[in-house]
Amino acid sequence: MFDFFCNLRPVLTKNNCNMRRITFLLLLFCSAAMTSIGGGYQVSLHSTRNIGMGLIGTSLSYDASTIFNNPGGMSFIKDKWSFSGGASLIMARVTFQESGENYQAHLVHELNTPFYVYASYKATNNLSIGLAINTPYGNRLSWGDNWQGRFLIQNLNFKAITVQPSISYKFKDIIGIGVGLVWAYGSVDLNKALPIDYTAGESQLNIKGNTVGFGFNAGLMVHPVKGLSIGLDYRSKITMNVQNANATFTVPAALKGQFPNTQVAVALPLPANLDFGLSYEFNEKFLIGINLCYVFWKQYDSLVFDFKTKTPSLGRTATAALYQNRMIPRLGLQYKINPLVTVRVGGYYDPSPVQTDYLNPQTPSTNEIGLTAGLSVFPFKGFSIDAAFLYLIGMQRTGTYSPENFEGTYSSVFYIPAIGLTYSF
Amino acid sequence: MKKLLFIILSLALFTSCERKISQFNADKGSANFTTYVSVGNSLVAGYADGALYHDGQVNSCPNIIAGQLELAGGGTFVQPMVTSNYGVAAYLGVQPKFVLGYAVDCQGVVGLSPMRSMGAMDPFAPVGYAVNNLGIPGVKSFHLIVPGLATMNPYYTRFATSMTGMVVDEFAKLHPTFFTIQLGDNDVLAYALAGGAYDSITPIPLFYYAMKNVLGAMLATGATGVMANIPEVTSVPYFTTVPYNGLVVTRQSLADTINMAMTTMYHLPFHYVVGPNPFLIADPTSTHPYFKVRQMKQGELVLLSVPQDSMKCMGMGIINAVTHMPYPIPGVYVLTETELAQIKGATAAYNAIIDTMAANRHIGVVDINTTLKALNSQAGIVWDGVHMTSKFVSGGAFSLDGIHLTPRGNAVSANCFIDAINQRFGSTIPYADITDYPGVIFP
Repeated sequence: MFDFFCNLRPVLTKNNCNMRRITFLLLLFCSAAMTSIGGGYQVSLHSTRNIGMGLIGTSLSYDASTIFNNPGGMSFIKDKWSFSGGASLIMARVTFQESGENYQAHLVHELNTPFYVYASYKATNNLSIGLAINTPYGNRLSWGDNWQGRFLIQNLNFKAITVQPSISYKFKDIIGIGVGLVWAYGSVDLNKALPIDYTAGESQLNIKGNTVGFGFNAGLMVHPVKGLSIGLDYRSKITMNVQNANATFTVPAALKGQFPNTQVAVALPLPANLDFGLSYEFNEKFLIGINLCYVFWKQYDSLVFDFKTKTPSLGRTATAALYQNRMIPRLGLQYKINPLVTVRVGGYYDPSPVQTDYLNPQTPSTNEIGLTAGLSVFPFKGFSIDAAFLYLIGMQRTGTYSPENFEGTYSSVFYIPAIGLTYSF
Repeated sequence: MKKLLFIILSLALFTSCERKISQFNADKGSANFTTYVSVGNSLVAGYADGALYHDGQVNSCPNIIAGQLELAGGGTFVQPMVTSNYGVAAYLGVQPKFVLGYAVDCQGVVGLSPMRSMGAMDPFAPVGYAVNNLGIPGVKSFHLIVPGLATMNPYYTRFATSMTGMVVDEFAKLHPTFFTIQLGDNDVLAYALAGGAYDSITPIPLFYYAMKNVLGAMLATGATGVMANIPEVTSVPYFTTVPYNGLVVTRQSLADTINMAMTTMYHLPFHYVVGPNPFLIADPTSTHPYFKVRQMKQGELVLLSVPQDSMKCMGMGIINAVTHMPYPIPGVYVLTETELAQIKGATAAYNAIIDTMAANRHIGVVDINTTLKALNSQAGIVWDGVHMTSKFVSGGAFSLDGIHLTPRGNAVSANCFIDAINQRFGSTIPYADITDYPGVIFP
């Protein structure tokens, strides 16, 4: 009674399944995602003063950060020159529990440092020009090389730096308009494992590339009555078309022909924003403001990778992202204790643009509540040292990235201290 | 000092404050996993790549299940381990496992191909200890109630406690509290692997009688458990890799020549076109005076064991390159419509028996049939970013013998068992992590 399976002589040949026909479902992912502070991969840390008061800024025109938040407000800046610069430190703590399995993972602790530099110059009483350099999109995350979701993502570093020269004009101290051209430089570096085994382990893919993109920022600010300020700002979508990123495969020798190192084109949209802001100064000391920020996340529909060298295993892959547009309400308060010290508090709610069926560890996005506090110290007139702290709580969320059947629960918290300097004269 | 304090404070900020999510809570429900015993054929034994070897056993479906059961009170799971990673010389002519390597075919084309590895196999010897995994390569359902099976099946000899007894006699000696049974596949598979030319399908009454006794003997020990159903042969790559119409005619002049030969010389009513054409197979029922052949029909299957060099260079499947006579594929390499209908009918009957028997005895059914069908679909099975299909080699789920699963395939199968266990006993056994288990290993 012999075992039946010993007489097999299967041979893979040209006639049946030659290796050339072997196609791996290579669903290369990738949202250039982030330890998203801000729903998807938007980072709204544009001014330490703003961070202290719930990230509002669309209707504020006290310093050069208005160039980015609303260029229409730049001409309302009182001083001839205004400079503002600073950086934040994002400390993300994200925990993942795989559904149905005895498995938890934590995001590797890394520090992300978005920064900003602004300068404005009042050329005439009504006309101002300025320059904004900051990091409104991008982020970096790592789950480690061996975690359970490594076939979706191991680590990702996506950065975008924008440079925005701007001009603003105001009419009769009531209406200010402004526009800026946005030049963006973006780079991406990502690693994921591929479920193709060889004696040395699993296969690997690295994609690394950079590109530039263009957009604009247009704003309107109105000061209808004393103390009241209304702002409206639209920042356009910027499409980052990486034409020639390098794709590097580490695969078994037998499959080198299927997965050659090649160039890959990938396009990632940096979504447009429409922000509305309203603020009121009750008196010299006390200010309250709200913002409603509408993010056109729907522009991130899918991520397409187009490999230049085509093989049966390698071609054009589109990975669904299917983000949804979202509105972020923000509230902030500022109180000038004395000429030396100003304090701020605020908060906001940032609903996740990611649908539950498309929740991806590349962007472990959950609905977030942000609580902020900040202060400015003025050692001398016109100069301030600004500090703020943002405590961002990601509400626990269970979801599946259905194209890869990766299901789990994410819970996150972010600690974000920020520091900055502002000088106006 | 201040600096030190700063460092300590920042470290505290870094390491603390991790968000907590409650851990998976594995619960045994109404089952008792203390002593788990698995019963069945090669799929249970951990046979893979055409051999019973060490890593295959480590990644056997029951061993993966046992690893998960341990989280809910399961005890040690002992298997009759082979130490060699090439195989065990259970009987004369056993070859080491298949590995992927480069082979030159009759046309001089070098291709990646499963080939027998070169390595020292374990000599055949009984292991000398009691085992929880009673998986025996090659057994049909009724073999488990054949006295003296240990004298006939050397894989059983390796761990049999008696040379004269039956496999079902082993159950009580192990005092099981929980069992899984995956049996009956060979009752139809053996016939399918023989191309329907020899061997036979186990008659339904015998299958019923055997399963009843196997399950009865197990339940008599007081254990509870689950039993797997039987997949259709058409869902494994051994039968689905070579297409029925793999005869590709590249140019019209060649098609014309073949058509002329068929019609004018051999008086066979077969028409060939440029592109894929059905292979010619042996057909004893043909009314043709000389050539008992016919073209394959869609849905009929060519086995992976077919001599492919003969097909590629000698004209097997069409016209013999030397004699210029019609050269059919012998029936032993083909499953015809009629044979497939018999296999399908028997499989359905077996599964109906399994369903009824399980329902009557309050044990769970593991629907491996549906799982393998899903694997054989275009989309396959996707888990944690791993896309698996029934495609030979590239699909990642089936090992290089085209019948047995890879470690990754076994993990999918184990999760199918875990589903059935959780459903039947209200337990919460966590799934095995698919990504922990490799698929086909490439050179």
